Amino acid sequence: MGLMSGKDFFIDRYQQLGWKYRETKLRQTIRINETNAKGKNLVDRLEHLGVSLEKIPFLKSGYWVQSSKVSVGATAEYLLGFYSIQEAAAQIPVSLFTRLKGKFVLDASAAPGGKTVQLANLMENTGIIVALDVEKRRLSALSNHLERCHVRNTLVYLLDARLSSNLKFKFHRILIDAPCSGNFASDPVWFKNRTLKDVERNSALQRQILTKAVECLADDGELIYSTCSLEPEEDELNIDWAIKNLKLSIEEISCHGEKGLTEIFGTKLDPLVERCKRLWPGETQGFFVCKLKKRGVVL
Amino acid sequence: MQIKKTGRCAMKAASLFNFISQFNVQVALNPELIFEKNGRFFLLNDLIKPLVNRDFFYAGVYLGKAKAGKFFPSFILLSLLAKEGQANRIVIDRKSAWLFICGRDVLRKSIVRIHGQAKKGTNTLVLNEFGECLGFGRILGKVTGLILGNEIAIRNVSDIGDFLRRER
Repeated sequence: MGLMSGKDFFIDRYQQLGWKYRETKLRQTIRINETNAKGKNLVDRLEHLGVSLEKIPFLKSGYWVQSSKVSVGATAEYLLGFYSIQEAAAQIPVSLFTRLKGKFVLDASAAPGGKTVQLANLMENTGIIVALDVEKRRLSALSNHLERCHVRNTLVYLLDARLSSNLKFKFHRILIDAPCSGNFASDPVWFKNRTLKDVERNSALQRQILTKAVECLADDGELIYSTCSLEPEEDELNIDWAIKNLKLSIEEISCHGEKGLTEIFGTKLDPLVERCKRLWPGETQGFFVCKLKKRGVVL
Repeated sequence: MQIKKTGRCAMKAASLFNFISQFNVQVALNPELIFEKNGRFFLLNDLIKPLVNRDFFYAGVYLGKAKAGKFFPSFILLSLLAKEGQANRIVIDRKSAWLFICGRDVLRKSIVRIHGQAKKGTNTLVLNEFGECLGFGRILGKVTGLILGNEIAIRNVSDIGDFLRRER
């Protein structure tokens, strides 16, 4: 297995994909829950507590914590649900949906719930979010998150995302923040623990989730697919496969990040895969995101 | 209380309604929209209700849980009660607010304002200077009087610091 794992192996892969490895230290990031924090002068209140914030230019409600005299995860404002601690790149996928208010939304791998809360906020607690996760322990964390942030429009099931079509619902919006291999920027022992085999296993799982999710996507619906993996098997290669096998099209998106890769280790992908966004670690953790729609649907 | 106490759901929700009534507040909760799962109560809306099946884990507004005849409210429920004008509420000062969410009781000198009933033995919501509900407590004795009162006036029963304690 030695040849298919380890820091040198993965760094070499990134180099082949056009990115030169550098160590990354992520800054703590918060996202203001705008619906809950309306009229609260939250930034001023946090600064008064000794929390120095810097607005993240590419996010609507995201702030980097420059310094803090208190634990940002233990202030009254946090416990009251006025903000969440959510990594910068992780704030992007939900922001790419259009017209969320009143919609019927599936959050296919929801725990621990950062994106579910973000969805509820952008929906202003209208419509319905069906949030799934496969681990009961993680659903408790999700429930705490929903309670803390006063979310009112969510229905949570202990259910494998690969069984989402069993619910017999048609969703206007689907978020697949897929279970993935993660990346070294958010996991200090990532290089030690991960192998290409893990990546391939996750890639197969992600394709199964995508397949089932598409079955419950409304004809005019939007599907956001994201991972925090840098490995193309979980990212561009999966999306290239999806547009060829699931009758999906890739939509243009405008957000932070570089164009998706269209050539992976010598294999040419559909040129439209460049509409995806790839975020190499730096200002954010490693991330990948794209927006998909059903292809050829006459509305 | 403006609650129609009819039907099986209303029976099950008795501990919830009894709890609410302790705050001298009138809240119109439709028993038809209250669902109970393993002792936990959820308030649904007309959109969510038809989609819920028995296997759900969490739905709509979490109201709290009943255990051994006792009701443990959610912080969403407490904040809903706090918005009711006549509810028993006590506003405390900034330092005391911080101590309260760390699980501490409230001293008489920390009380800034009192709304509703403040009799010994009653429950009261505890609010910070911004009017945000931090939890609730039980009034132990006199809540007004000497500004330097170092006596404990409100025993902390539940506070939002619980979110952190649950993670341990």
